[in-house]
Amino acid sequence: MEFKEKIKRKPAIPTASMGDIAFLIIIFFMTTSIFSREKGLKTVLPEKGQEVKIKSENILTIQVNPRGEVLIGDKILTIPEVRAKVAEELLKNKELVIALRVARTAPYRTMIDVFDELKMAKAERISLMPVKEE
Amino acid sequence: MKKISLKRPSEPEIPTASTADIAFLLIIFFMLTTVFRTERGLKINLPGAEATERILKRRNVAHIWLDRAGKISIDDNLLDLKGVTSVMAGKFADNPDLIAEVRADRDSEYGKVNDILEALKDAGVLKITFATEFERRGG
Repeated sequence: MEFKEKIKRKPAIPTASMGDIAFLIIIFFMTTSIFSREKGLKTVLPEKGQEVKIKSENILTIQVNPRGEVLIGDKILTIPEVRAKVAEELLKNKELVIALRVARTAPYRTMIDVFDELKMAKAERISLMPVKEE
Repeated sequence: MKKISLKRPSEPEIPTASTADIAFLLIIFFMLTTVFRTERGLKINLPGAEATERILKRRNVAHIWLDRAGKISIDDNLLDLKGVTSVMAGKFADNPDLIAEVRADRDSEYGKVNDILEALKDAGVLKITFATEFERRGG
């Protein structure tokens, strides 16, 4: 009886540690991976020497001064007002190009705030005016 | 009597045969979603924006870091503006679909960002993303 029992036992590969190995690799990948951090506001720059002339009536200039104030024309606007104003102008003129002129010493945060408002107002044509070195 | 004694009481067991399968499934997931951390970057606080979009082609992205002191870093090398142009031109030659991600501190001066944009124009890299954090605002 005892002899018979020994033959019955099936050959087996030990799989108990497989899980451990696999989890070790998981931990490695988890610590080295970055979850899509890549997000932001997309834009395309004009090619050098390919500047296009635009009729002045199709340009809406938005200025940001060194104090971080946003101006359209001579009027100082708050950030949320920019969206409404730009949306309104876009309704009037579909060809409108928005020129964003930011002072060198203006905070980057304000520029992004304005840029964000332009994106939210569905402005397609945004031009970032280069500012010269002082 | 002997037959009964052969039937040994089976020990209670948790089936572990499938844990490896589950684990490998997770591995495959992590392998597909992983991009290896290649740079540490500079210490910055990103600005917030409501129109923040995801960039889907992560492999095409090159980061340019700008901290509030005005230091510029690409691949953990501190560079000046000429360096930015030459490094990015090299990257652009390897991958024409390159997207430059400007990761600038929200308290930095816009002039520095403007200089980087000009340097990128010189390098021929025209697809730009301003890195931002998603932020919901009223209105």
